[in-house]
Amino acid sequence: MREVRFIQAINEALLEEMKRDETVFIFGECVRGGTFPHTNGLFEKFGKDRVLDTSISENAIAGAAVGAALAGYRPIAELMFSDFFLIAGDEICNKAAKWRFTHGMKLKMPIVYMASTGGYIRSDSEHSQSVESLIMHTPGLRIAIPTTPYDAKGLLKTAIRDDDPVVYLYHKLLLTKKGEIPDEEYTIPFGLADVKKEGKDVTVVAVGFMVDLSLGVANKLQERGISVEVIDPRTLEPFDIDTIVTSVKKTKRVVIVDEDTLRCGVTGEIGMQIMEKAFDYLDAPIQRVAAANCPIPAGWYLEEHVLPQPPDIAAAILKVLGKDMDISDMKKEKVGFDAVKAFGDLGITKVKQN
Amino acid sequence: MDLTKEQKIRLYTNLVRVRKLDETMVKALLTGKISTFFHSGEGQEAVGVGACSFLREDDYLFPSHRGHAISKTLIKGLPARIILAEHYGRITGCCDGVSGFHTCDMKLGIPGMSGTLGGHFPLAVGMGLAAQLRGKKQVVMVIEGEGTYARGTFHESMIMAATWKLPNLFIVENNQIMGNTPVKIIHPKDDFADLGFGYGVPAKVVDGQDVFAVHKEVQTAIDRARADEGPSLIECKTYRIQPHAVGLPDTLLGRPRTQEEIEVWRKRDPIKLAQKRLLKEGVLTQVDIEKIDGGAANEMEEADRLAWADPMPTDPKEILKKALYAE
Ligand SMILES: Cc1ncc(C[n+]2csc(CCOP(=O)(O)OP(=O)(O)O)c2C)c(N)n1
Repeated sequence: MREVRFIQAINEALLEEMKRDETVFIFGECVRGGTFPHTNGLFEKFGKDRVLDTSISENAIAGAAVGAALAGYRPIAELMFSDFFLIAGDEICNKAAKWRFTHGMKLKMPIVYMASTGGYIRSDSEHSQSVESLIMHTPGLRIAIPTTPYDAKGLLKTAIRDDDPVVYLYHKLLLTKKGEIPDEEYTIPFGLADVKKEGKDVTVVAVGFMVDLSLGVANKLQERGISVEVIDPRTLEPFDIDTIVTSVKKTKRVVIVDEDTLRCGVTGEIGMQIMEKAFDYLDAPIQRVAAANCPIPAGWYLEEHVLPQPPDIAAAILKVLGKDMDISDMKKEKVGFDAVKAFGDLGITKVKQN
Repeated sequence: MDLTKEQKIRLYTNLVRVRKLDETMVKALLTGKISTFFHSGEGQEAVGVGACSFLREDDYLFPSHRGHAISKTLIKGLPARIILAEHYGRITGCCDGVSGFHTCDMKLGIPGMSGTLGGHFPLAVGMGLAAQLRGKKQVVMVIEGEGTYARGTFHESMIMAATWKLPNLFIVENNQIMGNTPVKIIHPKDDFADLGFGYGVPAKVVDGQDVFAVHKEVQTAIDRARADEGPSLIECKTYRIQPHAVGLPDTLLGRPRTQEEIEVWRKRDPIKLAQKRLLKEGVLTQVDIEKIDGGAANEMEEADRLAWADPMPTDPKEILKKALYAE
């Protein structure tokens, strides 16, 4: 095992898969080096035929991926911000997702659509969204949201080898996170949730960056005698309901946490699936924590009232347990995205101020 | 039509004002007063200043993120204090402090700033249609970086604007770099102005460092639009001096950007060029130049002081209650 950053784990997966399979190539805005430097170094290794920078053309990027896939390649389309999936809605949700079925299952769509996701970065309503509910809603799209370097690498390798379109989302605030990965080659199968922390009193199902926030809360509650199990589904399609049901049978209580909007968000879908599969085991109504029904504002003083916060997660856990407790030490997430701090020490590029 | 002495001085003064505000905002970012980010437009001031200095108050303007639009919005009449207050999250900001960096002032004809680049084009066509219906000879100006002209929205919008002869102006602020990519490797031609040809839209390339040249070309297009002759496309060649956003690694294609190219363009700094010309023409003296400089510095210092002292919202939750629907 060795310790790497999340961003290096992504980089390694891309390198290894492009080396393994010559039909894999990557394209998008600033992929030779740019906003999120997870693609740096690929151009030097694979050259201009397999690492292509494009202009600002989300429709053409997403659609060309479909075309290249139809013609036998395995494109990785980098879309920079998941908000831009809305721009390329036709290409991703109508073509990539539906054409295989439309044409009698005769076509293959081995595409990966990658993008950063999420807020807490003091950006704006068009650079901070989480789109998992939109993607999970669309039949035909797979969706992977890693939360550790280990998962980031293993899931991306699986995504690239998958014959269906996969949306792969990396949270901006996780890019510099460190974690262990094995030296030898590995992949992580889709549809296999990971119990990130075992516990017996309550099950928290958390999606993406919410796993980290939930683990923080769980550790604080542990000191107070509350044992929280934190489950990371890792992929929402396919979705591993079985691992969750097994956990619910043990804890009898569930909180679901997601960064996307509460209304019609994935918390509703997951909650309902639990109702359908494990209602008899529940001792209390399911609680959910997600973003308010509001565009995501820039600036922490407003953002913190829209995006889910550790105190919200703690309060939901206490509610599902029917407990009252002082949680004033749970701090809100006001981190922001400090690019200088985030990338400056990665050794990828030197920060320079003119 | 030749510019009067006053008009020339106005253009020059506006260049200096924009530069001083840009510097103020860089400083504000580096000292943590701006909590989001800042995409400095240093060295590109002549595009916005040349294009917007003589717009009518009721003309519409869609500016891009570069310099957070100050070379257009400040010039169209939005006070620096209001721009800064928005960046500081103050209730006196142009979006009541909720937007971080966006600009909106419908009284000045500035409807907003798109987070997704290329989002402006169709909206501008709609405003062009409204302007045509209203019949008051308003024009609608979109100013975007060259990278943004690759968006499909531009094509659809051009077809509509050209077909209906709408009073739209599309201005390409070509600073040669799209994010961290030199535009020459992602665009098939040297001139974005060539894009006008297929739509039958008159298009020109102009030296984007020369505020007088920008103004002249834009004014011709404005006159055409006001005469119901339809849209125009103008490409202004300029250069981005600062990194894409202040504080980000200044890279091109994954490698640090070389200083040489920056130095070449610094020599063609728009303020220096305008200064040289106006001194030569006898429009300004060295003393005038110092006065203008001092005046702009004072304006921005005071704006910064006042904006910073302006209040934050006392109850953010109250703002969010009104976030979604008109009352
Ligand atoms: C639709 C869309 N794609 C990508 C981005 C991310 N992005 C923000 S600024 C930028 C570069 C813009 O280049 P250009 O239009 O040339 O303007 P400049 O920054 O050079 O002023 C990109 C790609 C975005 N905001 N919107």
